[in-house]
Amino acid sequence: MTIQATTLADNKGIKISINERFDFSLHQQFRDTYQNCNDNGAEFTLDLSNTTYMDSSALGMILLLKDHADKLSGKVVISKPNEAVNKILEIAQFHRLMPIEA
Amino acid sequence: MSIDVKQFAWLGIFTIALSLVNQWLIESNIVSILISLMILATFIAIYVKSHEKENNDGQSNTNGSSASAHDEVAYAALSQLSAFLTQEIEVIDSELERTRNLVQDAVSGISTSFKSLQDLSLDQQRLIAIIIANGENIGDEGGSTIENFVRDSSNTLEDFVKVIISTSKQSLETMAFTDEMVNQFQGIFNLLAQVESLASQTNLLALNAAIEAARAGDAGRGFAVVANEVRALSVNSTELNQDIRNEIDSAQEIIAKLRASVEIMASADMTSTLEAKDKVSSMMKHVSQANKDTGKVVDDMSKLMPQIVETVGLGVRSLQFEDLTYQTLASLKSNIDAVHEISNELNAITEAGSGDLTEHLASFEEKCQVMIEQTRNDNHQRTVSQASMEEGEIDLF
Repeated sequence: MTIQATTLADNKGIKISINERFDFSLHQQFRDTYQNCNDNGAEFTLDLSNTTYMDSSALGMILLLKDHADKLSGKVVISKPNEAVNKILEIAQFHRLMPIEA
Repeated sequence: MSIDVKQFAWLGIFTIALSLVNQWLIESNIVSILISLMILATFIAIYVKSHEKENNDGQSNTNGSSASAHDEVAYAALSQLSAFLTQEIEVIDSELERTRNLVQDAVSGISTSFKSLQDLSLDQQRLIAIIIANGENIGDEGGSTIENFVRDSSNTLEDFVKVIISTSKQSLETMAFTDEMVNQFQGIFNLLAQVESLASQTNLLALNAAIEAARAGDAGRGFAVVANEVRALSVNSTELNQDIRNEIDSAQEIIAKLRASVEIMASADMTSTLEAKDKVSSMMKHVSQANKDTGKVVDDMSKLMPQIVETVGLGVRSLQFEDLTYQTLASLKSNIDAVHEISNELNAITEAGSGDLTEHLASFEEKCQVMIEQTRNDNHQRTVSQASMEEGEIDLF
């Protein structure tokens, strides 16, 4: 599994970890991790510490996740992207949309 | 006593002549030559006077037998001296005139060259300004600079990235809808399976009905026809189900193609965009550094210009030494005129060639005294005026 989803202890959010390539092939799995979480104010942490590659569909998936979180008045936090991935996030100006934690 | 004076005069004449030759040949110092000439003339006058006195002393004893012989020698010497002075004065005069002309030519040449130097440097400044303006402009009519162009490129790139991401997002949404649709198809297949099962049960029922009708004999003949029709219907219904299944299968094939093309739409590799972004960023840095450098050069050049103007001005002002040189030449000229006058006086005596030499020489000596006094006064005034000119240098320049 290149995607691991962990429900946080207080049941107030989900931590999604993505290994290696974050691309279109993951879209179904990625959607499945969050679409059943409908708790108000849920926080989705996207752990990219093991992500080595990301294309534009990954950015689209993150935006869809953000739409989902917005609907629940929740939020999305991106965690520990490596340098190359962070550059892509910067070009896409994601730091204006959501917190990116180093 | 008179012999002592005579010897002294001879010694003086000899010494002065020697130094005159030395000055003329080696130092070529006109002023000192002139002064030496004056002193020479004075010594000659002293010599001749003492000679006369000796003659007078002798005359009282020998009754003037050798007086005229002495006079002739004196006249000849004076004539030589006069000729020498005339010749020297002519040479000095012409040298003075030549110096004057040389200085005038040189000064006007240097002046012109300074002025054109200033003009050329102004032209150079103007041309460099044009080059700088051209360098910043990229040639469109809006006067856009490279800096603006790079900034526009950066903005365009950002817009491009936004479009890519929004396309990906829309494609993924489409994908989600497609997945839902595929799930719906699965539901239809389930329903179709139920319909097929119904048809197969109907078929069995119709078969049973046909068997029962056959057992009933003639009474069941009509019912057997109905049972056969029902069975035919169930077969038709199964065929129809199969058709529906085939149609949906081909729809699913199309959906697979749709999925592939949506995937291509959604998955844009960002590497080239990253590279472009890096290039634009470094270009921005370069342009801003280049602008800074250019600004500094322009600044330095604008500082240079007043310095050039000032330097040229200093050169032009320094050229006013011409005035001072002319003044020096003019006073030299007056010294020469004084010598010339003495020479004329001497000429008058030698041209007369006779008469009382003592009387002539007495008036000559007087004249010499007057001239020496006048020259001394002139020289004193000149020194004073030159000193004041040097003090007033700043006012003058």
